Amino acid sequence: MNCTQFHDQMAALADGSLDEKAAPPLRAHLATCPSCQREFASLSRTLEKLDALPARPPSHRMRATLAGMIETEKLTQRHQAGWASSIRQAAARPPRRRSWLAPLLQVLGAAAVLAFGFFLGERNANQRQLAELRARVDTMGQLVEQSVLQKRTDGDRLETVLNATAVTSPKPDERLIDGLINTMAFDPSVNVRLNALTGLYAHADQEVVRAGVLACLPREGNPLVQVSMIDFLVAAHAREAGPVLRKLAADDKADTDVRESARRASELL
Amino acid sequence: MSTAAAEIPVHPPAYAVRSRALPPVDTTSPLSDHELMIAVRDGELDAMGELFERHHGPLFGYLTKLTGNRTAAEDILQNVFQRMLKYRHTYRDEGSFTAWMYHLGRRCSSDYFRKANAAPLPVDPVDLEDRADEGRGVDEAAAANDDQALLRRALDRLDRDDREVLLLSRLQELSFAEVANILECSVGAARVRAHRALRALRDHYFQLQKESPT
Repeated sequence: MNCTQFHDQMAALADGSLDEKAAPPLRAHLATCPSCQREFASLSRTLEKLDALPARPPSHRMRATLAGMIETEKLTQRHQAGWASSIRQAAARPPRRRSWLAPLLQVLGAAAVLAFGFFLGERNANQRQLAELRARVDTMGQLVEQSVLQKRTDGDRLETVLNATAVTSPKPDERLIDGLINTMAFDPSVNVRLNALTGLYAHADQEVVRAGVLACLPREGNPLVQVSMIDFLVAAHAREAGPVLRKLAADDKADTDVRESARRASELL
Repeated sequence: MSTAAAEIPVHPPAYAVRSRALPPVDTTSPLSDHELMIAVRDGELDAMGELFERHHGPLFGYLTKLTGNRTAAEDILQNVFQRMLKYRHTYRDEGSFTAWMYHLGRRCSSDYFRKANAAPLPVDPVDLEDRADEGRGVDEAAAANDDQALLRRALDRLDRDDREVLLLSRLQELSFAEVANILECSVGAARVRAHRALRALRDHYFQLQKESPT
């Protein structure tokens, strides 16, 4: 074996991927060639250093993030299962027997409904829709309150908050907003508190919401939630948050990320 | 509604669902990675916690070396596990979990590099700190740190494809056949590329050593 042939397979010998049958002639050449010994040593040393390159573990928040992803995926799974079940039930329902009278009754019924609709007018219809929406929002507000008060499981409370944030109403509901603020302030689960805060984004134009987030910021114990609250205040252009943010930025006991976020936010505001 | 409210994002921010400790996993009879992933695919999502515990360390190390950016590596790591959950139904009965995970890692890092090329990310101060004090204590390992910094710079000088194949080939969990599968090339081609990358790394590393003032 000459040096060129050795060089062609040197890397495979160094990284251990060489077939054992092919190794002896290479090793024999290596033992007798000082030039190839230097080449091989430099390659092996580079590999050793590459393998020994330290890598610190990722932030501890990664675990929390994954847990949140799993919980979210579970909720999606449950919702999908619910839809699938409804569709299966509908598909399994036996078709009803229809008599010759049915089409006639349907036509008469439709005409009656049409006449009734004209009678009530468009205004009444709009009022009815608004009332239904209002009732839905009221119910959701009660659910948020009850969910926190009854101390159900984290997953249940999270689901309630997620449902509450999905409700869109032309007029913000005080009870719903109060429920979300209370949840953000007092819920024991960081995940639920974060989602309640997310739900409050839709109502960030309200002073009571900005004041609620601002009041909770100094007493919040979790840095992730604190940083999220600071982001919220910046997004809501809450200029009144300046003194609290500056105080937090100067607090030696606060988390480094929180202090940095507070400093940046106070500059932005 | 005020003008401030109009600028508020419509979609919930990225931190929307986070926190909580990972759910406990029954460890009385340890399952293989493949069995755990099959369980995840079949709806037992908590099993993903155990897979994370087993694999996030090496995967994160690989991503940190590949991107040279710790914050980016964390983002990619998060995306990998998010995709595992989202696309769990695509995991095959005869699959290798590790190869699948690094395959997703490759996709996610490609996305990262595409975005980074479009808009270069600012240097993260955290990375500078990491590079300064990673490993042993500063006093006893200043020289080692300098050496590691040189090697990291040499890695940064490699083409991304070369860096990728070299780092994948050094992972103990992956065979060359699996690396070839991840890179969608033949085993021979993967081997040749990895060896070429190793030689290039060696050359960059020794060149940097020569240029180094000490």
